Amino acid sequence: MSASASPSAETDALRVENLVAGFGDLTILHDVSLTVPIGKVTVLLGANGAGKTTLLRAITGLVTPRAGRVTLFGKEIAGQAPHLIARAGIGHVPSGRELFPRMPVSAHLDLGGRLCPPDQRAALRQRVLGLFPEIAERLGQAAGTLSGGEQQMVAIARALMTNPRLLLLDEPSAGLAPKVVLSVFQTLAKLQDQGMSVLLAEQSMTFGLSVANRAHIIREGRIVLSGTPAELTAERSVAQAYLGA
Amino acid sequence: MIVLQLVVNGVLLGGTYILLAQGLNLVFGVMGIVNLAHGSIITVAGLFTYWFVTHTDQSPLWLIPCVFVAMLAVGAVLQRLLLEPLAKLGTRRELLSLMVTFGLSYVIVETALNFFGSQYVSLPNLQETWSVGGLAINEALVAAGVLGALISGCLHVWLHYTPSGKALLATSQNATGAVTCGIDVRRMRGISFAIGSALAGIAGVLLILILPLSAPTADTLTILSFVIVALGGLGDYKGAVYAGLLLGLVQSGVGYYLGGDVEVVVPYLLLITFMVLRPQGLGQAAR
Ligand SMILES: Nc1ncnc2c1ncn2[C@@H]1O[C@H](COP(=O)(O)OP(=O)(O)OP(=O)(O)O)[C@@H](O)[C@H]1O
Ligand SMILES: [Mg+2]
Repeated sequence: MSASASPSAETDALRVENLVAGFGDLTILHDVSLTVPIGKVTVLLGANGAGKTTLLRAITGLVTPRAGRVTLFGKEIAGQAPHLIARAGIGHVPSGRELFPRMPVSAHLDLGGRLCPPDQRAALRQRVLGLFPEIAERLGQAAGTLSGGEQQMVAIARALMTNPRLLLLDEPSAGLAPKVVLSVFQTLAKLQDQGMSVLLAEQSMTFGLSVANRAHIIREGRIVLSGTPAELTAERSVAQAYLGA
Repeated sequence: MIVLQLVVNGVLLGGTYILLAQGLNLVFGVMGIVNLAHGSIITVAGLFTYWFVTHTDQSPLWLIPCVFVAMLAVGAVLQRLLLEPLAKLGTRRELLSLMVTFGLSYVIVETALNFFGSQYVSLPNLQETWSVGGLAINEALVAAGVLGALISGCLHVWLHYTPSGKALLATSQNATGAVTCGIDVRRMRGISFAIGSALAGIAGVLLILILPLSAPTADTLTILSFVIVALGGLGDYKGAVYAGLLLGLVQSGVGYYLGGDVEVVVPYLLLITFMVLRPQGLGQAAR
C-alpha cells in the first residue's frame, strides 16, 4: 500500500470544462464546467428547460459540443461518436427512458450486455437483477407494456449491463409515484455503496440532495451554484430561487 | 371446395406479399424514411430474371442467391452515397429523402425502359398445375409463396436470434436507446438499406413467376408494399406478416367473386378501412 497517491492519480470520473453546445443557431449550454468524483453521486439540479438533458446528451455525444473538453477518467471524449462514448464506459439512462417497446425486458439486458466482457456478463446480470427483483419476474414481457416505474428500472438495468464506469441518469423520477421514486433512489444509494460514480439530473432539490454528495445548480445553460448538500441546504432560499421555485 | 382453393391461393399469394413488404419495412423502421425506389428495385430484378431465363434457359430460382448478394452491395453503396449525407439534416431529412428516393426510382425505371422496353413480360417457367385432393395447385404460386414466406422467416430469425439482427431490431424501435448500448446506428442504417434492397431484389425474382411485370409497374409495387407495411403497423415486422396474408386472402376471394377490376383496388380499400378503424396496425392486435 503506497503512502500517497501519485500526482497523476485520477480523482474524477468525469470532468466537463467550458462546454458549449446547442441546436443550430441556438446556444443552450454556455461555458459549463463541473466534475463528478469517483465513487460518488453528483446531482445536477435545474428547473424545466434549464439544460440538464442537453448537458447529459452533450457528454454522451448525442449532441455535438461546439467547444470545451469532456474527460472520462483522464481520457478526452468530446466530439467522439455517441456509440464510442458508450463503449468508453458511460452508461446513459436517457430522459424518457428510450426503451425498445416491443422487445422483452431480457433483450434490453442482452443489448446492454454487449458492452460487458463476455466472461463477466452472467455475473453482472445476476447483480443487476438482484437490484431490481421487480423486473426479474418480467423478463419475457415487452417493455412497452410495463408500468412507468418498471420501465425506469429496465432503463437503469440496461445501462448497468453495459458495465459502465460512470452512470448518467436523466430525471429517473419523472412521472413516477412518490413510493416508486423512493425505491429508485434507494437503488441509487446501493449503487453508490458499490462504488459507482453517478451524475444524476433532477428537478426536485429534496430528492436530489437526499442521495448526492455534491450538487450543481444549472439555470439557463449555466452552472450558477455548486456545493455539498449541507451547503445548499444552508442557502436553501438562494438555491430555490435558482430552481424557479 | 372453391373456398378452400381460394384460401390456398390467397395464402400463397400472401407469402409473396410478406416478402414484398419486408424490405420497405426494414428501411422505414431503421432509417425512418419511405423508400420510393422500392418498387423499382423489385421490377428491375423481375425484368432481369425474365431476360436471364429467356437468354440462358436456366431456372429462375438460381438467381435468388445471386440477386441477393448483388443487391446487398448495390443497396449499401446507394445508401452511403445518396441517403447517409441526409441523415444529419434533422427534420428536413424526411422530405429530402423522399425526393432522393423518388429521383432514384425515376432513374431506375427509365434505365429499365431502355434495356427491357415497356411491354409486360411473364415467365413461362413453373407452369405445371398439380391436382391435390381436388385442389388445383399452381407450381409457380407455390414456389413464390413458399420461398417468399421462407425468406421472410429467415429475416425473422436473423432479427430475433442473432446479435447483429437484434441490434438492428433495437435500432428500429429506438435509435437513442440503441446508441446507449454502443450500437453504431449509422452502420445499422447502411445494413438496413442493403438488406432492404436485397429483399426487394428477391421479391422481384419471385414476383415475375406469378405476375406479368413491366418497367412502369414499379410505382404500383411501391404503393402495394407500402399498403402492406402500413396495414401491419409501420416498422412492425410481425404486423406485416399478418397484413401480407390478409391482403393475399382478401384479394384471392374478391378476385374470384367480384372480378379483377375490384381485386386491384382491394389494397387501397383495406388501407383506408384500417386507417379509420385501427390506425396502429394489425401487429398490436395479435399481441
Ligand atoms: N432538439 C432541440 N432543438 C432546439 N431546442 C431544444 C432542443 N432540445 C431542447 N431544446 C431547448 O433547450 C433548452 C434546454 O432543454 P433541456 O431539455 O436540456 O432542459 P432540461 O433541463 O432537461 O428540462 P426538463 O427538466 O424539462 O427535462 C430548452 O429551452 C429547450 O427548449
Ligand atoms: Mg430533461
